[in-house]
Amino acid sequence: MRKTTRSLFAMTCAAVAIAAAGCGTTSENTGQVQQQDPTKACKGPDTRYTIGMSQANLAEPYRVRMDEDIRKAAEKVPQFEVLFADAAKDNSKQVSDVENFMTKKVNLLMISPNEAAPLTDVVRKAYNEGIPVVVLDRKVEGEAFTTYIGADNVQIGRQAGEYFKNTLLPQGGKIVQLKGLSGSTPAAEREKGFMEGIAGSKIEVVDTADGEWERSVGQQKMDALLKAHPDIQAVYAQNDPMAEGAWLAAQAAGRKDLKFVGIDGLPIESGGIKAVEQGRLSATNLYPTGGEEAVEAARKLLIDCQPLPKEQTLPTELVTKENATQVYTRLNQG
Amino acid sequence: MTDRTDERAPTPATQPGGGPPAAPPRSSRAGTVETLFRFQSFFGLLAVFVAAVVFSPRKDGEILFLSSDNLFNIVRAVSEIGIIGIGLTFVILIGGIDLSVGSVLGLAAVGSAVLMINSDFGVLSTVSIVLLAGVVFGLLQGTAVSLLGVQAFIVTLAGLQIARGLARMWSGGETVQISYGDGPDQAPMTFSLLGERTFGGVVPIPALIFAAVAVAAILFLRTSAFSRHLYAIGGNEKAARLSGVPVNRVKIIAFGIAGFCAALAGIVHAGQLNAGSPNDGIAYELDGIAAVVVGGTSLAGGRGSVIGTIAGALLLGILNNILSLNSVNTDMQLLIKGLVIVAAAALQRLRPTS
Repeated sequence: MRKTTRSLFAMTCAAVAIAAAGCGTTSENTGQVQQQDPTKACKGPDTRYTIGMSQANLAEPYRVRMDEDIRKAAEKVPQFEVLFADAAKDNSKQVSDVENFMTKKVNLLMISPNEAAPLTDVVRKAYNEGIPVVVLDRKVEGEAFTTYIGADNVQIGRQAGEYFKNTLLPQGGKIVQLKGLSGSTPAAEREKGFMEGIAGSKIEVVDTADGEWERSVGQQKMDALLKAHPDIQAVYAQNDPMAEGAWLAAQAAGRKDLKFVGIDGLPIESGGIKAVEQGRLSATNLYPTGGEEAVEAARKLLIDCQPLPKEQTLPTELVTKENATQVYTRLNQG
Repeated sequence: MTDRTDERAPTPATQPGGGPPAAPPRSSRAGTVETLFRFQSFFGLLAVFVAAVVFSPRKDGEILFLSSDNLFNIVRAVSEIGIIGIGLTFVILIGGIDLSVGSVLGLAAVGSAVLMINSDFGVLSTVSIVLLAGVVFGLLQGTAVSLLGVQAFIVTLAGLQIARGLARMWSGGETVQISYGDGPDQAPMTFSLLGERTFGGVVPIPALIFAAVAVAAILFLRTSAFSRHLYAIGGNEKAARLSGVPVNRVKIIAFGIAGFCAALAGIVHAGQLNAGSPNDGIAYELDGIAAVVVGGTSLAGGRGSVIGTIAGALLLGILNNILSLNSVNTDMQLLIKGLVIVAAAALQRLRPTS
């Protein structure tokens, strides 16, 4: 085994040598942002433009709908061709997706990042190369993007909390929270906002479970929560699929009195608005995809040569039984 | 029992397992066929490369696939899976499997971030601790496999869960962002080199690390007695034991190497992405195994090579790249990659067992 030891030593040396060779490079990570001239990418209405859309994953119906909204809106702009990439929840894959768009020399990058920090560098690289970047839903760090379009998760959480405080449980009561995947920014923000929303009321969150944004996990966690806290009156789920899962668990346990509130309000057959309409959820909170607005932003940047605000916060809306049908119809027209 | 050992030292004086001392003379035609199969992954790699050039989108006459930026992007993108795959090859050569490598990558990424950001460790101590943790994790798994006699699949399936759980606990369930600077709660600038490019701004450092690991692993397998033992155990464990191969020790070390490689890939991951997320590396073990299989290593053990794995990883990386450059949708990409893996494995079945 002497030889083994020697070889292992050689292996380590080789690794160290290569690592040392890498030192002394020019710094790319210092966070330098070049000012982008908005008119440079703009070539007016007579050019064809290729747009790359990097989606974090297509496992969530919300993101499928976002791509769908972009596709639909882009079809109305004859100059646009949109290419779609799906990172399948993998930060590394999304970095590659953006690099591939750069290789293909897209005229504009749209991205809904899987996570902020890991995607910041590659987005900055694209931006510094002069490619306008439209960031959707989840942010990147710093300033190296052209415009950000998204709804405010804190605000939506707050809206949900206020609904509990003012309408659902005005006398107070015990509830549980089903949280999105721990480690994801929206999960933290939707919790923060919710706590602000119920502040000052007699509502007590007796337990929080990680439902990973998924219906099946929501159901499974709710099974346990019902056993542990038989005295709860309502459930706040950070998205509609988890709320639906929790509803199924409550049905199975014979708890037909429980009330459920979700977030997202996707205007699709299996989405939250329909669930409210059909009485499974008391309410949901509309979290717009921003797909249409992103294409509109691209049109302004590339065709109209207009500057854009750095941030565009999309309005949210509470959906209850009263307005569900009307909201559903409105979001699916055109 | 008389498996070809692709990377063994050229002097197989005493083959453990009681096989013939040297390969029996074969007709040259059989030899050619054997060579073709032996270098199957290279021909595969070459074929995919040529296909990528042919099917590459062009812009202003430039073949986009062949641009140096793009080629290095490919190597950068496969570097983590490549490093993991190299470690996995050692375990698979002895007929084992390691399902924990993706989670260990996540644990290492989180560990790197937490140690530098929250605990104010320097680069050298962070890297050493994380690598050591990876090795220890692997050694423990190897011990459970060899001394307790639990199947590697089960042990490392448990390891997958344990490492993921540790990563979530260590990070508090949150992504730990790595920001650089001299202050407290900041990582030293040196670590940011992992996200950098060098030599004229084209060669990514992760690609260099991948290359270093590859060279080291190949040299290690060519020069050490350890390599003969690996192939012997994979070929026939009982026979290897009877002929004096320290089977348990070799097994434990093989798992240790896989753990080391996974941890190294995790460090690279954290450096490339400026963050350690508890959800990093989910399902990477499957990509790693795919690279090993496409590289011609038999999951039954005893046959295969690290070079094959490297070729396999590059092949899959090029495939990913060219499919994306052509905007083939993700569902179709999965389908095509699946077919390539099956085809590679099927070809291996046809290979003559000399």
